[in-house]
Amino acid sequence: MESDNNIITMDHIDKYIFDAYGKPLHGTNVKILDDVHFDMRKAEVHILIGENGAGKSTLMKIIGGLIPYDSGTFTYMSKPAFFKGPKDSLSQGIGFVHQELNLCQNLSVAQNIFLGSEPLKKNSRFIDKDMIYEKSAALLASLGFEIDPHELTSNLSTAQQQIVEIVKVLSYNCKVIIMDEPTASLTQKEIDKLFGIIRTLKEKGISVIYISHRFEELKEIGDRLTVLRDGKYIGTIDMVDFDYDTIIHMMVGRKLGAMFTTNHKTTTDEVLRVENLKIAQRTAPISLHVNKGEIVGLSGLVGAGRTELAKSIFGVRQYYGGKILYNGKELIHQVPKKLIQDGLIYLSEDRKVEGCVLPMQIDQNMTLAALHQIFKNGYIDKGKERNICNQSVGELGIVSQSLQQKCNTLSGGNQQKVVFAKWLITEPKLMILDEPTRGIDVKAKADIYKIIDDMASKGVAILFISSELPEIIGMCDRIYVMAGGTIAGEIIDKKSFTQEKILSYTVT
Amino acid sequence: MSNTRTETSNVLVRFLKTKGSIVIFIVFWLCASLFVDNFFSLDNNLLIIKQAAIPVICCLGITVVLMTGGIDLSLGYTIGLSSIVVGIFVKTLHMPIPLSILLTLLVGLLVGIMNGVIIQVLKVPAFITTLGTGYVIYGLAQIVSSGSNINRLPANFRVVGVTPIGGLNTTVLIALCCCVLFYYLLHMSTYGRSLQAFGFNPNAAKMSGIDTPLLNISVYVLCSVCAALAGVLLTIRVNCAQPTMGNDMTFEVITSAILGGASLFGGIGTVIGSVFGVLSLKIIENCINLLNVSYYTYQAIQSIIIMLAIIFENVKNRKL
Repeated sequence: MESDNNIITMDHIDKYIFDAYGKPLHGTNVKILDDVHFDMRKAEVHILIGENGAGKSTLMKIIGGLIPYDSGTFTYMSKPAFFKGPKDSLSQGIGFVHQELNLCQNLSVAQNIFLGSEPLKKNSRFIDKDMIYEKSAALLASLGFEIDPHELTSNLSTAQQQIVEIVKVLSYNCKVIIMDEPTASLTQKEIDKLFGIIRTLKEKGISVIYISHRFEELKEIGDRLTVLRDGKYIGTIDMVDFDYDTIIHMMVGRKLGAMFTTNHKTTTDEVLRVENLKIAQRTAPISLHVNKGEIVGLSGLVGAGRTELAKSIFGVRQYYGGKILYNGKELIHQVPKKLIQDGLIYLSEDRKVEGCVLPMQIDQNMTLAALHQIFKNGYIDKGKERNICNQSVGELGIVSQSLQQKCNTLSGGNQQKVVFAKWLITEPKLMILDEPTRGIDVKAKADIYKIIDDMASKGVAILFISSELPEIIGMCDRIYVMAGGTIAGEIIDKKSFTQEKILSYTVT
Repeated sequence: MSNTRTETSNVLVRFLKTKGSIVIFIVFWLCASLFVDNFFSLDNNLLIIKQAAIPVICCLGITVVLMTGGIDLSLGYTIGLSSIVVGIFVKTLHMPIPLSILLTLLVGLLVGIMNGVIIQVLKVPAFITTLGTGYVIYGLAQIVSSGSNINRLPANFRVVGVTPIGGLNTTVLIALCCCVLFYYLLHMSTYGRSLQAFGFNPNAAKMSGIDTPLLNISVYVLCSVCAALAGVLLTIRVNCAQPTMGNDMTFEVITSAILGGASLFGGIGTVIGSVFGVLSLKIIENCINLLNVSYYTYQAIQSIIIMLAIIFENVKNRKL
């Protein structure tokens, strides 16, 4: 067909769940990429979309040479592709602009741009410093950005740093450039400039893989679009045929109701009330309330201040004025220890950093927040600990070899269930759940929705923070939408829960 | 089933990973018994236990610090300070023995609080803090002693440490009591569990309702009190209070703890491991004495051992 016009062709790509070093984890057969197809033509902007955890980043990491694939075929420029690492793929013409900023904050803009490929002075082994600054200035100017190459990177705004990242990749004469959510931190003006750059690249015959969640901009910039869902390839369409509903259907692909269980009944007994709380000096005050047996959604884009609000309530972050009432009593100088005893818990969005102690055993993690329960007669009652944990393992359906298994050998879904078990053992009355389903597979997600619903049925008040709109819509009784550090809107009527309505509040 | 074989090998790997220090001890002991003349005798082995008693006390203290991922380099200087302080109390001031010892332990407590508060509240890295306070303590010991030693301590003071009990002495008994206490703290109470969680992941521990600031200060207090106790017992053993006493012990006990399986990166540490770590090191020291090799060799061997132990740990955790 158009195979000679293809610069990248990937077929039947499988990738098993892997650890931080890209090696497959022992004892799991969870595929994060399952029979994925991807092809890319010369000089096109190919958009890749999918929900969180759909496998977009993993696929890009394979193309960028960061991790190997487990099976399948991958041809680059009509030859089987083999990359030893990111540096190797870069030298072969594949550039990667990462979502997270990967710049050295202590170096200047120009030093960052030429990091690892510094030009040398003639007949010497010394870096040609003048050349670095000259070239950087030329590069930045040709793209129309006013950034001083001598400036220290730490003095730049996030958006400017993002631009430096892009310029850095451009300095390498790449044939393919991967951009992972490049516009997430850019202003409209900068986005327009970036799109200008992308169009220029296209004219030069360079292909761009573009990952984004912003529907508005996709049609403007893309040529074709590939959808991934739960690690599987769903389809590729030409942007001429772009239709909002089709894409959403491809991305979500299932009846929302099937995933979610909602058997709980709401009450009017108020458990949590936040009045005029400010999460930063200059943001508008926040007011909200959560009732017994109610699941209240807290939606919004990343950076809208949801986690900051949750951490303020949980007493691990400073807030600026306002009142937090829990069961009618005002919380003053609250600390996690006391709050947990009183039944207020916070499930952190970052499982690996704040949720689970990965090198510890399953049972040790589960009882970590309720040590007083098993500490009887002056010692830890291991028998009682085992009973409590076995019960949790059964109730939550945790798949493990034994309670002594270390948590870093579990899949993400099971790790998250262990964290859930930790909090359920403390018998909470109010649960603040921050992205409880992030990065876990569909089966585990459905299980966790069931756990959340069960807790609400038992009368637990739940504040449910999530970026994934389907689960907010599917699970919640009431939705708050946050934007710019404050509550931008509240949606009370279940009938008017739509992605469009929620998204409309996130744009300020 | 095929599972049984992996099960047995898992048990073996598990044993080696958790009780490796015992294996090392047995290997060292067997080698020494076979190849070093005069090693294999009851008297010599009792001597090793007696020599190990005081380092064991310090090693237990440093183990809890290592479990948080911290370090206490002021340990050796705290021994010197408590030595001269207890000497002044019992000899110069003629204070009652129990009160003298109690006040000396209190000095250790204050040193620990100072270290802990600087590290936890003022957020200075433990390495720099204890390196710095170590020199402060060293200077302080020199000032209160005016640089001189205190000899010939009262007999009723020496009774505390040197009273023989069937070939061993009260110092060994005290060390044993410390082991029991630390075993309870680390392996039976919630303190040890919290410490483990804190060492591996301080954020998760904090978010799980563990009072992490208090925990972090408490380990330095425990360590310094252990050092003070070691200072008292060492003073009794050599019958002389010296401001520079035990200054070279810091490295030795850290090596022992690492050899005993404690991790410099936090989270891992056991009482049994640390005890056998000290015993293993003392076997080497003993052999070097018996073979008439220079004592400086022992110091070099210590450095090699600490590095080998850390490399081994990296291999164990599949970092290499």
